[in-house]
Amino acid sequence: MSTEALLSVSNLTASVDEKTILHGVDLSVRAGETHVLMGPNGAGKSTMGHVIMGDPVYTVNEGTIAFDGADITELSCDKRSRAGLFLSFQAPVEIPGVPLSSFLRASIAGRPGLEMRGKEFRRRVKELAAQLDMDTAYLNRELGVGFSGGEKKKVEMLQLLLLQPKLAILDETDSGLDVDALSVVSRGMDAYRASCDGSLIIITHNTRILEHLSVDRVHVMVGGRIVREDDASLIPWIDEHGFESFEREAADAAEAR
Amino acid sequence: MDALTIRNASAMPAPTWGWLRMNDTKIEIPVELAREGSVTVEAGEDLTENHASFEGALTELQERLDAARGDAEDTRACVRAAMRETESLDDLDTPALSTYQRRATLEEIAGDVAAAFETGVHIDVRSYLNFLAGNTVVLATEQGEDAAATVRVSGVSGSAAGASVDVVAAPDSSIDLTISLDGNAAGSDVAGLIGSELRVFAGARSHVDVTVYMTADAAFTAIDDAGYVLDEGARVNVRHIVLGGGRTYTGLASDLRGDTARMDIDTRYLASGAEQRDFNYIIRHRGRKTISNMDANGVLTGTSKKVLRGTIDLVHGCKGSEGSERETVLLANQGVDNKTVPTILCDEDDVAGNHGATIGHVRPEQLFYLGCRGLSQEAAEALFVSAKLEDAALSAPDKDIRANVVRLGSALVDDFADFEEEIA
Repeated sequence: MSTEALLSVSNLTASVDEKTILHGVDLSVRAGETHVLMGPNGAGKSTMGHVIMGDPVYTVNEGTIAFDGADITELSCDKRSRAGLFLSFQAPVEIPGVPLSSFLRASIAGRPGLEMRGKEFRRRVKELAAQLDMDTAYLNRELGVGFSGGEKKKVEMLQLLLLQPKLAILDETDSGLDVDALSVVSRGMDAYRASCDGSLIIITHNTRILEHLSVDRVHVMVGGRIVREDDASLIPWIDEHGFESFEREAADAAEAR
Repeated sequence: MDALTIRNASAMPAPTWGWLRMNDTKIEIPVELAREGSVTVEAGEDLTENHASFEGALTELQERLDAARGDAEDTRACVRAAMRETESLDDLDTPALSTYQRRATLEEIAGDVAAAFETGVHIDVRSYLNFLAGNTVVLATEQGEDAAATVRVSGVSGSAAGASVDVVAAPDSSIDLTISLDGNAAGSDVAGLIGSELRVFAGARSHVDVTVYMTADAAFTAIDDAGYVLDEGARVNVRHIVLGGGRTYTGLASDLRGDTARMDIDTRYLASGAEQRDFNYIIRHRGRKTISNMDANGVLTGTSKKVLRGTIDLVHGCKGSEGSERETVLLANQGVDNKTVPTILCDEDDVAGNHGATIGHVRPEQLFYLGCRGLSQEAAEALFVSAKLEDAALSAPDKDIRANVVRLGSALVDDFADFEEEIA
């Protein structure tokens, strides 16, 4: 494991419509590590994922984001993706008129090492679909249109495995899934880790998805601030006690400010 | 020799402001076209050797409608207004009617199916395409039969080719008709023309599926003109896939004459370069509890132009009917010109008419999602163009039509050959 950070977020403050959501956040992830970002609803976890990925909805007011040795704070999201970042969406968008296979082919086009000729691409995608228990008929359907919640998440996992990013942020990929779909997502994460030793930031409420993962670091976010960082031992503690104590401390700290 | 020009083609039934230039279009038939090109009909002998005719089917329907018609006097004010020869100041209870209202009322009280029959483009286009075709192929099913047929019109530069087809679906039968309108210019920019003229009678409880693929190169003018009459409980599904052709005209008029008849139209189109697309859909709900859906989804790029007129006419007497039309247009370039004209005409209560159009560029949340997968805005817009072609290729009814789509795609999109290899 490298000692250099793959992703380094420093003093990141971000806002939307002049409302500050993230307040001076620091986060550092080394290559091959798995981090978990937890916190109550509305804490800013998803915003964090979106800002790291370069969602133009948010304004970065302060701080920097460095990835793989380069400052990416000003880069557009497509360039961040090509640099090796990946964000799996909590609610993947539907794109009528675009078959899933066309979208997947466009997403690997021009990526060194990933470009494939027609039949090879089809074979690879079918292989991945089989790995995720996904019906290959979905490949010819319009992206996301009429897909169940579980199928949408499988499509996200399929992209993760196809693109093999250096770092993937999984934004509540486990939310709203039944046990079977949850196990498919877990399998997807394992396969990703096994195939390219990629790094993960898992944003979740649910500690169940973490049961089979070796977690290096846990971050707790409340009110747009990271209020606690620890090793994996924090997970069972949160499981038992929830976020109330963190929220109380954050409220006290806010009062003191 | 001057070009033959057909004016007032693909006209909306009830015109709107003239200055909007959407009421109709003008079709210019390129000059000095040889009458050649290939038209093939692939159908079983059972279909082509049946003695049923479109006119015969309308006559039989007319007899039933006349027999069912009551003889109670229609005293509505609009009927009095349409029937009177001169207006009188003494009769202020009878309203003045517009030309359109008068024509519509007279047509309604006449109840003449054959006289009301129309196609979507123009009667002159019908004559021209019938002339090109030479003869009309009649595809008629027997009661309860399931059948399929394919008509291919393959144009070449410098020539005009057309097909004329009548479909007569007997009660409780089904027919699946595919029409391929293809023009391969083989690199030439000499003009050509292809077209098809289609009349469909969907008998009681029959099921008719019609798919039209238009895959002509930019040098071609392509015309798809169709008229439908639906008897009681008939179901008609139409798919229009319009991908290529310098100037294309797609017109469909449908008479939902029988109760509970249903018509669904799914239109997918792409226009690139300086191409022009013109669509005219007219659905007349005449029977009770009839249903229609028009769903169009298109991508415009380059400096292409498109007009889509969709008229749902809820005629007096069509109680319980529902018509809806939706269009989603993606403008993948600033230089395109898009016009969408949804119209609902209504002379009945207890009916529903819905329309909606979504016109715009790729939505910000879609762009962000695509961006997260490495696609810039330009790449995202190009994806919508190639996706339209790929979707059409994947759902092509046979390998010949798929090959036409791939030929067109390879001319428009880099690396489309990769896709061809993938699906081969």
